[in-house]
Amino acid sequence: MKRVIKSTIVGLGLLVAWVATPALSADLSVCIWGTITGPDALVNGMSYGTRDYFEFLNQTKGGIGGNKVQILLLDGRYKLDEELKNYRRCVDQENSVYVNGWSTGSVKALREQIQQDAVPFMTESFASEALDPVKLPYIFMAGPTYEQQMIIALRDLATKGGKTLIIMHPDNEYGRGPVNVVRTSGIIEKLGLNLVDTIEFPYDTQDLTAQMLRVKSKNPDLVYVQASTPQLIVVLRDAAKVGMSAKTFVGNIYNISPAIPQQLGESAEGFRAIQVYSDFGSDIPAMKDILAFKAKNKVEKEDVYYMKGWFKGIVMSKAIEAAIAKNGGTVPSDIKAFRTSVRDQMVALKDVDVGGITPAASYADHQGSTRARVAEIKGGKYVAIGDWINAR
Amino acid sequence: MSGTRLWITFLVAAAACVLALMLGRFGAYLMHAVVIASISALALNLLTGFCGQISFAQAALLGVGAYTAGNLGNAGWGILSIPVAGMASAASSALIGLPALRLRGLYFAIATLAAQFIFDYAFKILDPLTHGVSGLLIKPLTILGYVVQSDQAYAVIAIICLFVTWLTMVFIGETTLGRAFLVVRENEIVAKGMGIDVARTKLWAFVISGFFAGVAGALLAFTTRLASPEAFGLSLSIDYVAMIIVGGLGSLPGSLLGAAFVTLLPELIQRVGEALNIADILSAAREMAFGLLIIVFLIFEPRGLSALLHRLASRSQTNIALKTPQPTSERRRSELGLKLEKVE
Amino acid sequence: MYALQLATAGLAIGSVYALIAIGVVLIYKCSGVVNFAQGAFVMLGAYFTYAITRLGLTPVIAVFLSTVLMAVAGAATERLVLRPMLKAPVVAIMMVTLGVLIFLRAVALAVWGPDQIAFPKLFPDGAIEIFGIFITYNYLTAGSLSICLALAFLAFYRFTAIGLMQRCTADNSRAALAIGIHTSNQISLAWSMSAGLAGLGGTLLATLNGLSLGLSDIGLIAFPVIVLGGLTSLAGAVVAGLLLGVLQAFTDGLVTPMLEGFLRAYTTIYSVGALQQVLPYALLILVLLVRPQGIFGWRGSERL
Repeated sequence: MKRVIKSTIVGLGLLVAWVATPALSADLSVCIWGTITGPDALVNGMSYGTRDYFEFLNQTKGGIGGNKVQILLLDGRYKLDEELKNYRRCVDQENSVYVNGWSTGSVKALREQIQQDAVPFMTESFASEALDPVKLPYIFMAGPTYEQQMIIALRDLATKGGKTLIIMHPDNEYGRGPVNVVRTSGIIEKLGLNLVDTIEFPYDTQDLTAQMLRVKSKNPDLVYVQASTPQLIVVLRDAAKVGMSAKTFVGNIYNISPAIPQQLGESAEGFRAIQVYSDFGSDIPAMKDILAFKAKNKVEKEDVYYMKGWFKGIVMSKAIEAAIAKNGGTVPSDIKAFRTSVRDQMVALKDVDVGGITPAASYADHQGSTRARVAEIKGGKYVAIGDWINAR
Repeated sequence: MSGTRLWITFLVAAAACVLALMLGRFGAYLMHAVVIASISALALNLLTGFCGQISFAQAALLGVGAYTAGNLGNAGWGILSIPVAGMASAASSALIGLPALRLRGLYFAIATLAAQFIFDYAFKILDPLTHGVSGLLIKPLTILGYVVQSDQAYAVIAIICLFVTWLTMVFIGETTLGRAFLVVRENEIVAKGMGIDVARTKLWAFVISGFFAGVAGALLAFTTRLASPEAFGLSLSIDYVAMIIVGGLGSLPGSLLGAAFVTLLPELIQRVGEALNIADILSAAREMAFGLLIIVFLIFEPRGLSALLHRLASRSQTNIALKTPQPTSERRRSELGLKLEKVE
Repeated sequence: MYALQLATAGLAIGSVYALIAIGVVLIYKCSGVVNFAQGAFVMLGAYFTYAITRLGLTPVIAVFLSTVLMAVAGAATERLVLRPMLKAPVVAIMMVTLGVLIFLRAVALAVWGPDQIAFPKLFPDGAIEIFGIFITYNYLTAGSLSICLALAFLAFYRFTAIGLMQRCTADNSRAALAIGIHTSNQISLAWSMSAGLAGLGGTLLATLNGLSLGLSDIGLIAFPVIVLGGLTSLAGAVVAGLLLGVLQAFTDGLVTPMLEGFLRAYTTIYSVGALQQVLPYALLILVLLVRPQGIFGWRGSERL
């Protein structure tokens, strides 16, 4: 028995040692995690896009400033403990200079650690709690917050003369948080709108028929859905089941997905969503790069989220590039100094050309671009209607 | 437990602490993840392996511990948060167990399933206590004014808690109560006939098991710094059931092995996948391995990893005849868990 | 009117629950096992239908083939996984079915990916209004098909020779063996029929709710249904399924807004969250405490 215990301990120890040993880290490392498999895997184009952009740089320009970027894409599975583990691997083992996280929950839990580690952190989340240039100088996001997106939609409604509003959201942080902020801010009343109901549903729901009946009975001018694409598909499908038109519904940035018209067909016509990034395949300079990349590599997702990913890649690499240039053209050997430098350069980004994916981006406010426009599903495709509206 | 055994256990724990302090942050994180899982696995093992009451509500109990410790920690209770969290979980566990006194086997299992969902809902709704779905942000643990920040320190604290848990489990195994657990597991009617108060015995199992689940939950709270309902759902409960199955029901070292296995498996598969460049189906591979493990272990080795290692060890030694025959025949497989593994 | 609309929606989804629940009760009656993997069978049935239509075959053939495939899968599961565990305690068998659930979900994940997929249209688009109640063709057909299948199965179980053999095996397998019934074959048959029903239910469910891995969660919803109806009563499963569907619809449509209206007026609590998910389970605990054999079961039906 003693031998058994001894050999097991040795075995486990070796396992832990193998896993825990810091990798022979490259000079330049960027680390990303996203939901590769999990409830919101539908939108993981944003992680693939960023990874692909850095690969693109490696393939066409030999990296940044001549240094190849070692890029690691991990699966967070939308589970907090997985994401926390990935954070530690990125910062500790991979010695990454820039980390790209995923969920709102993880960025909140990691706030203090990011501050202590002084590592530039780009989050996929658009939660206002993750945005604070003063208290959270190292955290960046890639567009207007959820609240700002909602306000853009509400402003649009108000100008068109609508009055009654219903908000639907899932029962997780992503759903409740922004909705509560907007609701308690009083802006709905200020715009002259009347919030007649708020409906919360399980985030893993498959069936919302009864909720849609409830919505139908109130006959609102607009239903704003603060949810992800999988839930939105259920919303629109069940709206059709009870005879409601998709025209009544508006979603946020996470509701622009080819899956929606693809799976719902006719029932999706007229649905509108907030668009922050140009869609995949639109006539913009960035698409040329993407298509060039696609010619030689496999592109996992071809949607607007991939464009967000590409956008993030552009701004992140520009900050890294500036930091290397500041260091006389070589990668700084002290990772701490390097990270702080990258962060400083990030904030200094002003009016950066991102190939048309969004209007020119500036990162003094840690958001990049706060403009959005409304896109509507017409004939199975998202068509932009109207101009870019600034959320501020 | 004899003096030598106590010393050996202490030395192993001390060695583990030293190792924890030497590891980098990632290694220390993995370490305390495994240790915390072990504490919870030992707790579940007491309930299911010793006393025969299957429970799918383990994650709910961890959640109660986490939220309690989080709130207390934020209010400045320091290290006291951990035992108090344990007590809160013990109380919840007793609450879940009360219906168990009337139900048996399958029905009880389904009742614990229901309890898990109900607690899950409570976590989401009781906003003032749990911050609902936003999750409760938790400040780091403070011990006598000193703020514990590093993963290594948490690993050491977790190891100390595991040491205490282990000793408690061994101690219980040697008391009358411990033996009462075993009899109740085998056959409740016989237990009654022997004069054992079955209801009280079961209730004790729930309370003690719940306490340590709460301790594990408290440690989770301080190490992940966020307690949210999503973290304490049914899939976590199933993970724990898998841990004690794979490790070996009723076996103390088995619980540790199972906990290590289930916690480290995803990381192992991730690394293997990266090395072989098959990242696409990694997640699926992980889940497949998980499901297969449960099936295979239950069919072929119901006594889990610990028994497997036992057999490998005995096969490698030539004095097989001197060892007590390991029952592997069909007939004996009907007794899951069998006798209490002697801690050597 | 609104209530009637809710009830209709509830009945439609409830009949699909009923179909799935019948499968679980069938297995339980025959082999004393609660099949946690039923949800996986539901999910696989839908995915098989999808995969077969992708090969170019018509939907009708696809549904038929997928049901057959599922029946084979059910029998295979019984032979490979359950047979070796014949002598193990109930608790271990329960856990092994859990393992099967996890495994099958992972296989689906590996083959078809984590995203939702557009399910082929089996029923025509559009809707009709009967007495002012709006109902889509999809709902109508899925609902009525489910209930017809469920009733047909009950009839089969009650009136045919094979049904009789099934009932004998379920009642007392040793006695059945003694009178010459091949009990192990009957058990395999129970598993295949159960999986076939689940697969059909899955296909119908997918026409209503779309195709994704989430279909397997329905297996968990089945448990309150089954305990409510009585673990040993097929008719009970049907009634309980319908009841549960209506209960969920009413909770979503009426109870939640009422509760929220009340809470919002008098407290700071803004929402009651996913009440419809937890209500069946709360009911479950109540039933277990008060009448563990369910509405239709009979006492002494707890197999230990």
